[in-house]
Amino acid sequence: MEEFLRLEKIHKSFVGVHALKGVDFTLRKGEIHCLVGENGCGKSTLIKIISGVLQPDSGRIVVEGQPVASLGSAATMARGIQVIYQDLSLFPNLTVAENIAIAEVKERGGGVVDWDEVRRIARAAMARIRVDLDLDAEVGELPIGVQQLVAICRALTSDLKLLILDEPTASLPKHDIENLLSVVRDLQAHGIAVLFVSHKLNEIFAVAERITVFRDGERVATLPPNELDDDRLVALMTGRTLARKVFAFADASARKVLEVRGLSKRNHFADVSLELRAGEIVGLTGLIGSGRTELALALFGISPAESGEIRVEGKPVQIRSVQDAVAAGIAYVPENRLVQGLVMKHSVEANVTATVLDRLLGRLGLVDPARKQALAREWIKALGIKVSNPAVPVQTLSGGNQQKVVIAKWLAASPRILILDGPTVGVDVMAKAAIHDYVRGLAARGMAVLLITDEEAEAVANTNRILIMRAGRIRDEIVAAAAEAEQVQQLVEAPS
Amino acid sequence: MRAEGQRLAGATVAAMLRQLLRHNETWLAILIVVLCAGITIANPAFLTYENVAGFLKSSSMTGIMAVGVLIVLILSGSPDVSFTAIAQVVEYAVAVATLQWGGNIYLALAAAAAMGVLMGLVNGAIVHWFRVPTIIVTIATFNIYFGMLYVITHGKLINLVHPMFRDFGNTLLFSRVSSIGASYGLSLMTLVWLAAVLLGWFILRKTFLGRSVFAIGGNEVAAERLGIAMLRTRLFAFGFVGLLSGVAAVVHLSIVQAVVPNIIVGKELEVIAAVVLGGASVFGGKGTALGAALGVLLFAILNNGLTLLNVSSYWYNVTIGVVITVAITNSAYQALRRRRARVHVKVEA
Amino acid sequence: MIPAFLQRPSANRTLAGVLVAIVVLMSALNPQRFPTIGNLISMSYQLPIIAFLSLGMMVAMVSGGINLAIIATANFTGIVMALLLRAVAGDAAEEAGAGVALLAMGGGLAAALVLGAVMGWLIAYVEVPAILTTLAMMTLLNGVNLVITKGYTLSGFPEFLLGVGNGMLGPVPIPFLILVAVVMGMAVFLRRTRTGLGLYLLGSNPIAAGYSNLHVRAVLVRTYALSSAFSALTAFIMVGQLNSVKANYAESYLLVSVLACFLGGVDPFGGTGTLTGMVLAVVILQVVSTGVNLLRMDPFFIQALWGFIILVLIAAGFLGERLREVRRLRAARLAQQAAPGSTVGTGP
Repeated sequence: MEEFLRLEKIHKSFVGVHALKGVDFTLRKGEIHCLVGENGCGKSTLIKIISGVLQPDSGRIVVEGQPVASLGSAATMARGIQVIYQDLSLFPNLTVAENIAIAEVKERGGGVVDWDEVRRIARAAMARIRVDLDLDAEVGELPIGVQQLVAICRALTSDLKLLILDEPTASLPKHDIENLLSVVRDLQAHGIAVLFVSHKLNEIFAVAERITVFRDGERVATLPPNELDDDRLVALMTGRTLARKVFAFADASARKVLEVRGLSKRNHFADVSLELRAGEIVGLTGLIGSGRTELALALFGISPAESGEIRVEGKPVQIRSVQDAVAAGIAYVPENRLVQGLVMKHSVEANVTATVLDRLLGRLGLVDPARKQALAREWIKALGIKVSNPAVPVQTLSGGNQQKVVIAKWLAASPRILILDGPTVGVDVMAKAAIHDYVRGLAARGMAVLLITDEEAEAVANTNRILIMRAGRIRDEIVAAAAEAEQVQQLVEAPS
Repeated sequence: MRAEGQRLAGATVAAMLRQLLRHNETWLAILIVVLCAGITIANPAFLTYENVAGFLKSSSMTGIMAVGVLIVLILSGSPDVSFTAIAQVVEYAVAVATLQWGGNIYLALAAAAAMGVLMGLVNGAIVHWFRVPTIIVTIATFNIYFGMLYVITHGKLINLVHPMFRDFGNTLLFSRVSSIGASYGLSLMTLVWLAAVLLGWFILRKTFLGRSVFAIGGNEVAAERLGIAMLRTRLFAFGFVGLLSGVAAVVHLSIVQAVVPNIIVGKELEVIAAVVLGGASVFGGKGTALGAALGVLLFAILNNGLTLLNVSSYWYNVTIGVVITVAITNSAYQALRRRRARVHVKVEA
Repeated sequence: MIPAFLQRPSANRTLAGVLVAIVVLMSALNPQRFPTIGNLISMSYQLPIIAFLSLGMMVAMVSGGINLAIIATANFTGIVMALLLRAVAGDAAEEAGAGVALLAMGGGLAAALVLGAVMGWLIAYVEVPAILTTLAMMTLLNGVNLVITKGYTLSGFPEFLLGVGNGMLGPVPIPFLILVAVVMGMAVFLRRTRTGLGLYLLGSNPIAAGYSNLHVRAVLVRTYALSSAFSALTAFIMVGQLNSVKANYAESYLLVSVLACFLGGVDPFGGTGTLTGMVLAVVILQVVSTGVNLLRMDPFFIQALWGFIILVLIAAGFLGERLREVRRLRAARLAQQAAPGSTVGTGP
């Protein structure tokens, strides 16, 4: 196949960091190519160089056989290269039609806007990937999966040759991922190359023709998917092999810590019953929109259930607020670490102690600063958070360490029941393993854990039972030891 | 067949109505109509040509400013508060300059506009290059413009202005003569306001420049990535509010025919409130010229209505305070309900 | 945003340096009148009003909002006090004792707290943007104040109140002592109470704060009540110093209080800002204002000066950023020259 883009010996350094160390990389016309690697491996820097946001320190860039000095943002667009970033770069206050057409209208020189033409441009772009969206809908009101399609349509208004999708599926529910992948295959049929940057491994195998793995600023391998499996890919990404251990629940007759009977909330979930025993890790999975996160939020008091019964250690409890949940010994590590989990500007100490300020009161009912700092140090040590001192702002930490801070802040509240919602999303492979080990350790010491996850493999390996939700109800329960990830996936996606 | 057609037509009308009711402007228009009806019942003098033309004239200055304020609010999600100081400085300068050198009204308008644009551009440049919120920059320039005006003029009133302003301000269209021999009619000042609204509408709705204002207000990072001309758009918006402040200053001068150097400043929050009442979002990215005009109109009617109902003018602020409180609370509450009612999960039986 | 040098941990040292420099400058420009005990006393009379208003603005800003109604609330408090005094003591208000005066102050404070709680409730529970809520409250209160006073000045306050605003305890003005006590109380509140610590958390990220066992809405209501309490304190001092109340006293201080927050390093988007920074900022503003005043400059020049100071701070912050950037780039270039073509990085 013909080459579209060739990078030769690309070097790029930032202060103190050699982000790309002489990278060679080729991309063929109309191919679907995936770029994987751990955080900080250089893949985002590479994307930025291809898209013209950054200039390489040295090296050669060849586009369609012609060497180019460097790519500026405008120049890349002119060469038919478009990037869709994770944040999609849409305008929430404008309509679908205008969001799609705005780049094209701008290219034509702006001036007076012909609204009929705007709609024509938008319709033409939608027709290319065979979607039909309401042109007058305000983009901010649309679900994220539809927004993604709007962003792709916008890229299609230009003469597109290469579309780069940066972590496109990180926030997408499963059926939207399917939808997106079929759109990607469609683009390929039009001769458009697609470069995926992704964290999730299974979806990569579904579409990619070639997979390039980066580690520490170097390209370690470019392989077709049939020469790779999960284990080999992880080994390439980390340079290490991970021993896979399966969670074993020791005492099936341990006391019931949490019992939920007939819990319901309109438009959220209905008639949910479940039990959690001390030392047990129970998986909870389902598509986005199946009600799994909504159930967790109800147990944690963020959006309380309307009817049903919750018992903790056999005693009935009313959970109307986060305060009630905390008093009952329930902790929740939320799905979105940046928005729900952490106050990024503030120190590790402030974050770790936020949940337990009322337990740090000294004389006169005032918070005791010495005890506050001691508590923070204690948890930094316990979880092995890499930070020089507790006063460092959380935003300077790596993703894995940030996630440990979120877990620490909830363990500090000494809960009986720990709900983990996607605890390893966006965390790289090594940190992920460390978090799994730690959670198992907690269970071994008697914590009851509810692990909500999108990754069937994670559920199978780290729990003893898996609950599967569809359309607001728990529909299936399977024993993890006897299950395969594929089987769980089928149940998750089964028609309800 | 015909029944079917009628049903369809009915459905379309209902859909159109629903569509209309989603717009803030519709609610505002309804409120204005109800208010007008109420005041007219209490005092029939309200809904007369003379009275309506009167308050349309006297609120033309704030009306003109509101269009500019709207554009900056959409762009930056943070209000400009310096526009009254700009108008105040321009008004004083134009009054002094025309007394000194004469000239004609067009020249005065052009000079006022140019001066306003310059002062607005200063705001725009600082906001763009130093990346500071509009409100902070304009608080600073407000103080500088207004403070320096007093330092230079010592706050001296100008009681006598060039007669051309009187002629300009008194120009009427469709004029009639009242029973006591005074003529009244649609003031040219009102038409200047109307022109400003139309210009604002055209720019915001029909030009790419206007759409860029919305784009930047909706998602600044995305606008920059898309290659939208950030500097040019910002300079335009701030220059435009300056231009309209300059024009508003001449309109004001032509109506009152005197300069009191602190009469315009102090109105900034009222104008911003009118714009927000007209549906502009304080977070940027949303708003219409029609809404801004209706917001100003509502305040004008309240003011005039209170006078006609023989309510002390002290009650004006109370009334406006109540109206703003009710309006913003209602729209925040509606938004809250919409968010809460959003279906998360389709629960199946 | 806020110039970085006002937000760094060393920011307060910079501010202290600026303060010393200004004091030296003013003393040099006006050696007869500025560096005197009399002037020091007169400054410590004036400082509390601007300080209380700025602290009221600060707590709202740290929570991620703003309180445009602080001045209107202060005037309203003063008017409530005047009305209460008349209701209780009638025409003999001036001769009323400390008990009656304290009753009036309590009533004024209660009124301010209620107004603050109402604003906080609208902001926290109905989710009306703070800038709109407080703008509406400001307009409403200005109107109410006018309706009650009809634009006149109400005067004639009891001795006790005048003492609060004007009295001396030894060589130190009583309002200054009140300020010192309040600042110490604030220090404890902001650093050692759950509400105070929670205020910073929710200002930075209200969602995460809510997920962290913090009752965000209750804290917001308390924050605006506290902000209004500062307005009430301002009213106590103002009434005492002016022996009168009016619908629109001190209106120009609204902008000055925003400026003080800006100078003190409070992020208008919430979550940061130290008490030390605020105190230094307020003192700087007072020294500049008094100093320029003593030079017999136009008071409007002082107003313009505030504007220039903001712009200079903005520009300085920007230039600071730029300088650091240049230095970073230079360091990067040097590092590369030291190891040409080398692929050995210092590691991610």
